[in-house]
Amino acid sequence: MNKIALSIVTLSLVVALGIIFSWGSEGRAGGSAGGAAQNVETREGVQYITINARGGYSPRVSYAKADIPTKLIVKTNGTYDCSAALVIRALGFQKILSPTGEEIIDIGTPKAGAPLQGLCSMGMYSFLVNFK
Amino acid sequence: MLKTHIFHITGTHCPSCKILIEDILREQEMVKHVQVNLERETVEIGTNSEKTSKEFAEILNEKIKPNGYTLSIDNFNTPTTERYDDVIWKAIPMGLLFLTLFFLLQKSGILNFGIGGQTTPMTSFLIGLIASVSSCLAVVGGLVLSLSAKISEDNESDTKTFILFHAGRLVSFALLGGLLGVIGNAIGINFTFTAILGIIASVVMISLGLNLTGVFSKHRVTLPSGIFNFFRKIEHKSFTPLAIGFGSFFLPCGFTQSMQIAAVGSGSFISGMLIMFAFALGTLPMLALLSFGSASFAHGRHAPLFFKSAGVVVVGLGIFALLAGLAGLGVIYPLFNI
Repeated sequence: MNKIALSIVTLSLVVALGIIFSWGSEGRAGGSAGGAAQNVETREGVQYITINARGGYSPRVSYAKADIPTKLIVKTNGTYDCSAALVIRALGFQKILSPTGEEIIDIGTPKAGAPLQGLCSMGMYSFLVNFK
Repeated sequence: MLKTHIFHITGTHCPSCKILIEDILREQEMVKHVQVNLERETVEIGTNSEKTSKEFAEILNEKIKPNGYTLSIDNFNTPTTERYDDVIWKAIPMGLLFLTLFFLLQKSGILNFGIGGQTTPMTSFLIGLIASVSSCLAVVGGLVLSLSAKISEDNESDTKTFILFHAGRLVSFALLGGLLGVIGNAIGINFTFTAILGIIASVVMISLGLNLTGVFSKHRVTLPSGIFNFFRKIEHKSFTPLAIGFGSFFLPCGFTQSMQIAAVGSGSFISGMLIMFAFALGTLPMLALLSFGSASFAHGRHAPLFFKSAGVVVVGLGIFALLAGLAGLGVIYPLFNI
């Protein structure tokens, strides 16, 4: 077969793969700060950040306030995929969450500029919480 | 009268293969002289027998098959290097196409529908079906594909090996599931342990994948022959496929881990066993398709194209699994979110 045609196909597939991998991780660089606020609320002096876990974590990037006691709520709803196997290295937290429920994780009083990262055990899903 | 036959030979992975093949063939009565050319993958045999090339190849094949080599009279009219260059050009887009479709499927979110309620053997069977086409396929399926293609490439009696692998997988999932039900959290499966296993699996996938594509076929010397001899020895034993089937219980896969927790929570040997067995049964169709599918391609007309495409796919999945595994261990920043 024609090598030129095949190399064009190859190139376009590489581009397609590149798009698949970068699409959805745009939040890392800065992301949509506007939409991210909805998952953070403060009740009785404690800040709660809610992350939904199923087929990945949403929102991928959250923004919360630093220097107040904070808890992370990870919600599962029929979650059997990797996102149920949650690892937060900074806290030494490793747990396989129950398929449906809420996991409340105390993250103490976070400092500004020290983002918190959660991953699934296989490493292909992640979320990030920025504190400022 | 002395006649010279030239055959194509496959399975020559190491410099010492030349010596081994020449030794075996020289022992045959009708063989007068033997010369193996590793670069061209040919063997030249001088004989005084009046048999045709085809008959001759069949007789000699019986002698060298147990060592994983195959003689053939086909694929021979064009020089090997040219033929391979051609095939790799088709194999790369084919492999990439498969990878693109696979990751698109992951990205589409089709696989993320929830299954509510309690985990019963029925739901764990369904979860197994989903898991076998999910990103777990990148690790478990990639490993199965690379090992299967490798075994088929070396050895035509591969069916037994695959049956042993799948049987080993089903039995060990059932037994370990039962064990989890009894002992419960006492043997909680460590995340770091599974992540390291996953990284080892991905390194094996990348190296087998590169080997399948044959990109380095001209530089075989760089691959340590001791390792290949080791692989050669173990892949023909019944124990190895069973052990790999057993090991797949611990490979990193979110679905497997969820099921393991369900088995722990079930609290009894029988229910833990049923959950894990049903899960493994759910993953069986896809994994069996990968191994037996690769066997049937491997013996077909498009075998070189299949091996190289499979190599491209396996290298791609291996890189994905490696990067994800390193991110999971906290070694590197997560590069992607599938």
